[in-house]
Amino acid sequence: MNYPYWQLGFPGGVLIALVAVLHVFVSHFAVGGGFFLVATEARARRTNDAALLDYCKRHTKFFALLTLVFGAVSGVGIWFTIGLVSPEATSTLIHAFVWLWAIEWVFFFVEIAAAIIYAKTWETLSATEHQIIGWIYFVAAWMSLFVINGILTFMLTPGGWLEGHSLVAGFFNPTYWPSLLTRTAAAVVLAGLFAFVTLPKDGAREQVARLGAKWMVAGAVVMPVGLWWWSARLPLFSHLSLGMGVTSVTHALRGGVGFSLLALLLALVCGAWKPSWMRPPVVAVLVLCGIGMVGAGEYLREYLRKPWAVNTLVYANDMRAAEVETIKTNGVLKSAKFLPHADAASAEYGRDLFVLQCGACHAAEGYRGMSRRVDGWDAAFAADILQHIHVLRGTMPPFAGDEQDRKALGKYLAGLNPEWHLTITEANKLEMGKKVFDSRCGHCHTVNGSFRPLRGTFEKATGAQVAEVFPALGAMSSNMPDFNAPADQAEALGFYIAHEANLPLAVKPAPMQMPTGTNHSRMRRPAMPGAQASLAQEVR
Amino acid sequence: MQTMIPHVDPLPLPGPVWLFTVLLLVVFTLHVAAMNSALGGGLWTLWNYLRGRHAEHEYSRRLAVELAGMLPTFLAFTVTLGVAALLFVQVLYGNFLYTSSIIMASTWLMVIPLVMVAYYGYYYFSYKAVEGKGIAGCVLAISVCVLLAIGFIFVNNMTLMLRPERWLEIYRAHPNGWNLNLGEATLLPRYLHIVNGSVALFSAILAQIGMSRMKQDAGYGRWLVQRAALVFAACTGLQFLLGMWLLLATPREIAMTLLRDPLTGGVFGLALVTVIAAMLLILLGSLAEKPSKLVSAGFGVSLLTLLLMVCLRYLLRMAYLKPYADLGGLQVQAQWGVIVLFVVLFVGGLGTVAYMLALVMKCCKTAVAK
Ligand code: HEC
Repeated sequence: MNYPYWQLGFPGGVLIALVAVLHVFVSHFAVGGGFFLVATEARARRTNDAALLDYCKRHTKFFALLTLVFGAVSGVGIWFTIGLVSPEATSTLIHAFVWLWAIEWVFFFVEIAAAIIYAKTWETLSATEHQIIGWIYFVAAWMSLFVINGILTFMLTPGGWLEGHSLVAGFFNPTYWPSLLTRTAAAVVLAGLFAFVTLPKDGAREQVARLGAKWMVAGAVVMPVGLWWWSARLPLFSHLSLGMGVTSVTHALRGGVGFSLLALLLALVCGAWKPSWMRPPVVAVLVLCGIGMVGAGEYLREYLRKPWAVNTLVYANDMRAAEVETIKTNGVLKSAKFLPHADAASAEYGRDLFVLQCGACHAAEGYRGMSRRVDGWDAAFAADILQHIHVLRGTMPPFAGDEQDRKALGKYLAGLNPEWHLTITEANKLEMGKKVFDSRCGHCHTVNGSFRPLRGTFEKATGAQVAEVFPALGAMSSNMPDFNAPADQAEALGFYIAHEANLPLAVKPAPMQMPTGTNHSRMRRPAMPGAQASLAQEVR
Repeated sequence: MQTMIPHVDPLPLPGPVWLFTVLLLVVFTLHVAAMNSALGGGLWTLWNYLRGRHAEHEYSRRLAVELAGMLPTFLAFTVTLGVAALLFVQVLYGNFLYTSSIIMASTWLMVIPLVMVAYYGYYYFSYKAVEGKGIAGCVLAISVCVLLAIGFIFVNNMTLMLRPERWLEIYRAHPNGWNLNLGEATLLPRYLHIVNGSVALFSAILAQIGMSRMKQDAGYGRWLVQRAALVFAACTGLQFLLGMWLLLATPREIAMTLLRDPLTGGVFGLALVTVIAAMLLILLGSLAEKPSKLVSAGFGVSLLTLLLMVCLRYLLRMAYLKPYADLGGLQVQAQWGVIVLFVVLFVGGLGTVAYMLALVMKCCKTAVAK
């Protein structure tokens, strides 16, 4: 609201993810690769292995080019990107932690200087001196991870910082150590990858391949421990969004595990067992696995923090939690400083609102596309449901706007799809009923699933009895919108719900605990018990 | 208009304003020195590389090869020090800088891939310069052009952040972020001032490098000192004209602070004195058959000029933002514990870098002695 909103044409979160995945991959690759080079240099010197030493020497250049240029500049790229996409969140982190960032910068500075010197002095420095430079590089690089990890984990679990703004509590927050362990292990895995990517053609080939496999396995053994520890420290809302069954999360989880297992397998087979099989195509697959692993990890980390950018302070759409109520009272028109169109009656205004409040995570079409999610919504229903957007499936911030804003955005959302004209017959009643359910109820309920199931309420009811409840929905719970679909749709919907709720079930699902998502209480408050209870009473 | 300015962050400043200001001025001066070396050095290298392709210009070729190895390092320090400057300026003027950056977001973000292109180009050139064949010259030229473009983007953003009255209009023109601040009268003179200044400052640095080369090869060293001194003098002369243009393009009430505010006026006056002194010292020192210590003194004075110019730039920014920003009124809750930790680590970090450089120097000396 405070800042202009960059309308880059697709969700800003996607841009951050792209830049971040590349940077995180390369920087962990660099931390790990540097560690690998330095340790391997020490080994080669200790064992007087000329071929191995020659390998280290020749691949320092690749390492330096990657770290100094791509690693460092893409890191600045993240800086730029978060400032552009989430200025409020960035500003919050800067104000809380600028000195930590300054400290991180000191390590970064030493790291860069050491890398340059390390790469340039293979011939000129003595063995001991050159190794000293190498270890300085490694320590500085890892220390910059040590520092930045505190800020990154703070965003998800600010912990004790929230009471009294203690820097130490914010830095060594609940997920700090598990995350540090996981990231360090990931760097060791990627160090193994570095070995495979730089495998020499001759001399030390076998030895380097075996070393690479060793490193990768060592990292891969520790990483699950770190991840398990980390997930045990996640806040409740993150656990809940993991359990919500959102497809992209399931894909990311499966992908992450799959990529890691495949990488491990290839490392064991083509690295440790038969190094001669470690050919460029295998290496390419391994690199893809590495990127996939990092990508999945970063995706989940970002996802599990939703709806927050900085937990309880700034939402993922860069709205400050403390501002929401004021904006609900005053309206966006009076609160936002940089609206492209300031005429609340215009169609563009509704679109502006969409971009401003939903655009961080949704595009109209395509990535998390809005049009297929609001199919069947009319303007009045959309305007109403916007009051409850934070309790839908998904992990969304509340909509911040007054009635006029909800109407404008509602009109825009309804306009994304052609209006429904359903022809409902006896034959297609069940199918049409499901369609109506998906559009009107399915965002917050299932019938037999684990997500706010309706079975308990409607078991034994007939279609007509179910439909009788509809006119009262809005009055029943402050979390439910009014039901305003045409009568034939209502009938089909009642029929569908009654049909589903009376299907025989093997095991009755336990209703899941749901957060209501209102501002600060998101972590603690239990789900809409009021809604469930009153609905049940009504039917009885 | 005040309402256009995003609110300052609700969290208090984690340190006193003066400390952030001092740190900002120090790291920014160093950043500009590195940037001048990367850009001015690139232009110097390009010129001498092209010239050195003719057999009779042996010294030019030698200089180009020598500089080629330094360019990537200059750029590395430009980036590293730039990050620090960006960090501290965000604390003080974040609500201005974030806004102008978002308004020209797409253009602004281009800086990142462009830096990578320039950087890899410099590395490529540093590996190929010795052979002096193929597309090395082209690659260097592209890198230099890219750096010039990056500088232009920076000047657009740095001027846009000073002009809240233009923000809404420019934002609405292209909310997708493909904006520049082309309507700004000071844009062109300011850009040329910094580009020309880069060549000037790097020429002073080169004169100093030439002094150190005299010991090994008097002919080459003298040639270098004299060339650098000439270019330095010419660019400094031009810098006066560009500076005048910049001053005339600056809004009257801002330019008047040079006269009205004793600190701003004092810094300005002192900078004029030092720049003339630097020019005289370097010119006089280089004229002699054996360039004298005066050159080194002139080099030192030109670094001082740079510091003064950076301070002046900062004071003028304060003048621009005076109606909108009240740094004195910001809430402060200094985190002294971690500030001390930062200072200790900073000193330790500098010590570590110095130690590494000492190792390198020692072995270079023994290598030369052998
Ligand atoms: C913090 C990111 C975020 C923001 C901001 C956001 N959403 Fe969502 N939204 C999600 C996620 C995540 C999902 C679930 C993803 C999925 O279904 O694949 C979702 C799902 C939805 C759904 C479908 C719910 C269902 O049944 O699955 C609707 C409708 C929706 N969002 C509307 C909106 C509207 C309208 C806004 C703006 C007022 C908005 N969202 C803002 C992240 C966000």
